[in-house]
Amino acid sequence: MFLEQLHLRHFRNYEDQPIAFTAPKTILVGDNAQGKSNVLEAVELLATLRSHRGGRDRDLVQTDHSESIITARLRRLSGDTKLAMTLRNSGRRTVAINGETQKRQLDFLGVINAVQFSSLDLDLVRGGPGERRRWLDVLLVQLEPVYAHILQQYQTVLKQRNALLKQRRSHLTNPGTTAPIDPTQLALWDAQLATAGTRVIRRRARAIARLAPIAQQWHHNISGQQEILELRYASNVAVESAAQDDAGVIQQAFLHQIKEKAIAEQYQGTSLVGPHRDEIEFLINQTPARQYGSQGQQRTLVLALKLAELILIESVISEPPLLLLDDVLAELDLKRQNQLLETIQDRFQTLITATHLGAFDAQWVQSAQILTVKAGQLHQA
Amino acid sequence: MSRLIEQFQRLPGVGPKTAQRLALHILKRPEAEVQALAQALLDAKQQVGVCSRCFHLSAEPVCEICRNPGRDRSTICVVADSRDVIALEKTREYKGLYHVLGGLVSPMDGIGPEQLNISPLVRRVNQEKTEEVILAISPSVEGETTTLYIGQLLKPFTRVTRIAFGLPMGGDLEYADEVTLARAMEGRQELD
Repeated sequence: MFLEQLHLRHFRNYEDQPIAFTAPKTILVGDNAQGKSNVLEAVELLATLRSHRGGRDRDLVQTDHSESIITARLRRLSGDTKLAMTLRNSGRRTVAINGETQKRQLDFLGVINAVQFSSLDLDLVRGGPGERRRWLDVLLVQLEPVYAHILQQYQTVLKQRNALLKQRRSHLTNPGTTAPIDPTQLALWDAQLATAGTRVIRRRARAIARLAPIAQQWHHNISGQQEILELRYASNVAVESAAQDDAGVIQQAFLHQIKEKAIAEQYQGTSLVGPHRDEIEFLINQTPARQYGSQGQQRTLVLALKLAELILIESVISEPPLLLLDDVLAELDLKRQNQLLETIQDRFQTLITATHLGAFDAQWVQSAQILTVKAGQLHQA
Repeated sequence: MSRLIEQFQRLPGVGPKTAQRLALHILKRPEAEVQALAQALLDAKQQVGVCSRCFHLSAEPVCEICRNPGRDRSTICVVADSRDVIALEKTREYKGLYHVLGGLVSPMDGIGPEQLNISPLVRRVNQEKTEEVILAISPSVEGETTTLYIGQLLKPFTRVTRIAFGLPMGGDLEYADEVTLARAMEGRQELD
């Protein structure tokens, strides 16, 4: 797929900025805090409906304005598509495909596919399990947009059940002031949590199973054939790996584990069983990369993951997705840079941010479209 | 003027621009018309309460639907809100009675089964020889829990059914999304 045009209106520090992409690689170059990453963030929002920077929509809208509009024209094998997204200070979003407003945001997902690789991703190995779950969830939404709905349902059930557990705890510690909760109601939330959670677990297990061999291959290539990377989905609801796709088995195990942790849940007043406590383990030569990997090893690992994401998305949607490289090339040494650039070649449209062009291969810079960014304005160099 | 705009803005679905438009419109109308509107608002608030049987909005102690001798008294359709009764009435398909819960089970909002009109429903089912209770509640997470809760409670006493969810009329199968299709699959029926 090829993003031909992007237009930012009142988005972050952009007043009214049309951008035409003319080459498979575009380098946005400029000092810090000029608005380079904001361009990539806009594409990320169109692809995933979320920003890895987090925050509320009012932070995305330019100061002193009430709404921001991002529009894009995308060329895909199936034809050209126009996308529009309106962000408001109130938090209400509107998305439209070819001028037609979509009733559900979910229907907007999957039109643009993009893999984001920023310097923050280097924390994927060292950071907490929450970071890895978020990474996997974003990938899953790209592979199967309906996952966004499944995940959201699980999160709603989880919030409701936690609220109920909290009520129960305050009743137990202070029986005079609050009413006891109905055990029938709790049992129903248990069942709902298990049903919704099982859907999340199955999809996550499936995604890791598909990603793992590709990541392993890449890692093997980049590390010079010495190391073996393993990705392991360590679900909080443990079932044998053979049963990881059996909804009945997972649901049973889920409910069983809730029963076992009933007392702990009672004291802590929160849900202790479910995919919100999943872990994804990265092992290099059978030792956890998080504890034992050197910084170089961890970088190789993240690069392998990102390349695997690209290839997996490409194989699922039968078209190369976009690649967004946010301030990350400078963090990779020449060998890893080359590995990355060799893989993407001209197949994947790539948007790159950098503070200067010095770190790039000269030949490579020549074939790229260079845009300079200064105080929310873009100029063709 | 700004007081009026502020009041309008509190209404659901009304933003600052619409509020301003409404306020200007009011100022342009003859006084008698504005008087009538104000009176209608007050009358509605003072006179409309809920039906003592089904909890639907009603100006009388018992609502029109519950009083209507032509309605089938052996079925009760359970809904979350009075709005749902109005929607179902528009279909003219359903001839039974209703029961309005007044919300859905939602611990986050401090709403448990005891905050809803569930015990009056159980009492009704026991007293009125109800043959079928139809649960017409949205398939949200909260709606699902509420549906299952009431289902468990009433199953020993009567037949409990729930409305089907699936493809909208006039919708093409190929354009339906995965979630809706899965739902429709779950609720499939024997061809007769």
